[in-house]
Amino acid sequence: MSTIIAYFDSSHDFPEEIISAAGFVPYKILGDIHQTNEPADRYMPNFFCPAAKSWFTEAMARSSEWKGIIVAQGCNSTNRHFDIWKMHIDTPFLYWFNGPLKDDHVAAKFFKNEIRGLIKTLEDQFSCVISNENIREAISQSNAIKSRLQKLSSLRSERDITNREYLDVVINALQNEKNETITALDLAIRDWSNRAPFPAGKKKVLLTGSDITYREWMDTLDECDIRVVRDDLSIGERYFATLIPDNEDPIDSLVAYYLGVPKPATKPGIGKRIDYLMKVLRETECDGIISQNLKFCEPFAYDSVTVNNTLKDHHYKLIHFEREFTPVTDHQMMNRLTAFTETL
Amino acid sequence: MNTRNDNHTKENRSGQEDVRVRVLPHAGDLKSVMLYYLIKGKLAVKLPWKKTAWTCAGFPVEFLWAYDLFPLHPENMSTVAAARKQSLWLIEHTESQGYSRDLCSYCKTSMGAYDTGIKTTLGGIDKPDLITCTNTICDTHWKWFQIMAHKLDVPFYMFDIPKWVSGLSEKRIEADIDYIVEQFYDFADFMQKTFGKKLSERKMKKTLKLSTELTDLWREIYEGRKAIPSPYSAAETSASFFPLVVLPGKKIGVKFYKKILGDIQLHVAEKKGTLPEGKEQFRLLFEGIPFWYRMRFMFDLAKYGAVVTYEPYTYSFSPPKPSPDLPIDEAFRAVAKIMMDLPYSYNLERRIEYFEKVIDEYHIDGVILHENMSCRPSSAGMIDLKDAIQRDKNIPVLILQCDMNDPRAFSEGPIMTRVESFIELMRENKK
Repeated sequence: MSTIIAYFDSSHDFPEEIISAAGFVPYKILGDIHQTNEPADRYMPNFFCPAAKSWFTEAMARSSEWKGIIVAQGCNSTNRHFDIWKMHIDTPFLYWFNGPLKDDHVAAKFFKNEIRGLIKTLEDQFSCVISNENIREAISQSNAIKSRLQKLSSLRSERDITNREYLDVVINALQNEKNETITALDLAIRDWSNRAPFPAGKKKVLLTGSDITYREWMDTLDECDIRVVRDDLSIGERYFATLIPDNEDPIDSLVAYYLGVPKPATKPGIGKRIDYLMKVLRETECDGIISQNLKFCEPFAYDSVTVNNTLKDHHYKLIHFEREFTPVTDHQMMNRLTAFTETL
Repeated sequence: MNTRNDNHTKENRSGQEDVRVRVLPHAGDLKSVMLYYLIKGKLAVKLPWKKTAWTCAGFPVEFLWAYDLFPLHPENMSTVAAARKQSLWLIEHTESQGYSRDLCSYCKTSMGAYDTGIKTTLGGIDKPDLITCTNTICDTHWKWFQIMAHKLDVPFYMFDIPKWVSGLSEKRIEADIDYIVEQFYDFADFMQKTFGKKLSERKMKKTLKLSTELTDLWREIYEGRKAIPSPYSAAETSASFFPLVVLPGKKIGVKFYKKILGDIQLHVAEKKGTLPEGKEQFRLLFEGIPFWYRMRFMFDLAKYGAVVTYEPYTYSFSPPKPSPDLPIDEAFRAVAKIMMDLPYSYNLERRIEYFEKVIDEYHIDGVILHENMSCRPSSAGMIDLKDAIQRDKNIPVLILQCDMNDPRAFSEGPIMTRVESFIELMRENKK
């Protein structure tokens, strides 16, 4: 019997710990690049985010394997796609989680109320009890994963760790059972710690922009002798950059954590986003910055000019480009990336 | 050979008889309303004791008037730029700075207009003292305004409006309203701290009273559009809804709409339509933002005997406003609910219900859905909307993929070919 509750989160906004506290496995829907988006094309125009379409396609194909689906407010895609999901995805439970865009005290109060509403709904729907103790346990488990991912992430600039391997551990953490994830991460730490030193021929870069949901794109970077040693992606460091604090009320802990994660472009605070990137660059010496935008990903496309110009003003070498949603190697892009590495 | 010439010739290139759209006698008064706004805006920018704020669609402009902040409207000025054939080079200017072709053409027009400093009459916009916005309509609004606030080093305030998705419970809607109302009070604190301005309840009530009058008049105008033949079409409303955008709370808009309503009532009584007698064959609903650079499209429909008699877009700006007699907290709750509940941003289930009601009430023969590449939120769900209307109302629906401000997306030949096929479908359907 399925124990999975899947969720649609265009950034890192959804408190998956509540699903864990309810006794289910949270599974972040990330689509499958190898499946055509034709099922989604039936309901969505050709100028919509292809990643969001891929998530819809995955949900159409796999919803029967899940207990239910939660869609968290994120970007225009999440907000307006919910109605299409409601009409076409066959699931016994589809829930809208309305997280705030802002992070001030008014937003915090609203967010807390939304989390309480989610808890009550899950309890009613699945006849379970989500106690404060359950939530604390889920937070502790979540922090155990995040701290291990922090360790693994830090090894990227020291050891020979491929881009794909890094993306794999993060995706697994977002989609697999949490205790199994902790065990797998411990093994990875042992493995990665004993790897050869960072390869001499590779360049160290900071990766920013739209999320990367498929491994092939990370392989392309490796083929161009680029190693991502830092990032601010939601399927990346944003997921584990900070730990969930230990407040008296565990819901307050979640509110403080989720409103405080490094800003994605889907949330107001472009200044905070720039500050975070600058902090990352001070922490880790990078040869350059890759700013990439998935075709039709509006939030990051808007940010990119201001963010990139600021980074360039600080004399960082940066390349920006738009990429298609495809596992196929783009040789034109590889040419650009190779030329970029030669300037580093 | 006949040539297309502002609908004056008897037959056009495609062999259709050209038909002149008859505008209302007071239609021209709109110019003085626009001039009033532009001149007052310039004065507000120049006079050192006056303050201005940028704002966007979906934002309760009444708040700004109540704070004595003059609302400058980048989005509205973008439409002016397009109508004056300036949007293309402004968009290209912004794209040359690094902005993607896939981003909102209003935003790129406006950024270009500010950057190049073009005249206000061509769609230019001045630097404000404050930038306000909301995500009621889309995320683009706050992304765009945040970037400009960062660039211009101007204070920024946004109202975060939770989404009223399909199936949301009343209890959750009330909680969402609580959140919005708390932001209204937070905005009051922000205004006090930033500009030393206090909200005057008296001024707010006065503004709401005039705003109520304005929106009530617009809805009465829409009632008049139910008449057959239709006395007022999108060829005119696409411009005349302007006072609803920036002048709710000002007498000049009310005066203008009273004259328009008077014209409509007279024409309805005389059974005069916007097309010459006997020419109205198809009544259309047009969903989405018009092609501002190609407003002739609305006039071109006349040659097929088609009249756009309803646009959810222009209707969206006229929700029933709260009574000025309500205590301020209740008035705030009503305004908050309006912000969540604009027809332009209805969820899919409500959108289908709303459209089907309008189709019946306005005797609609066909629907054009503008799948706007610059407005993904409004384009989401359009395919399901089309399927539902065709299934439930048995009328043709045409989805036109285009753009509101970027003329590169408008390809006359293919678009008019599709329109002609749509007209033929309606003709067959009416037999």
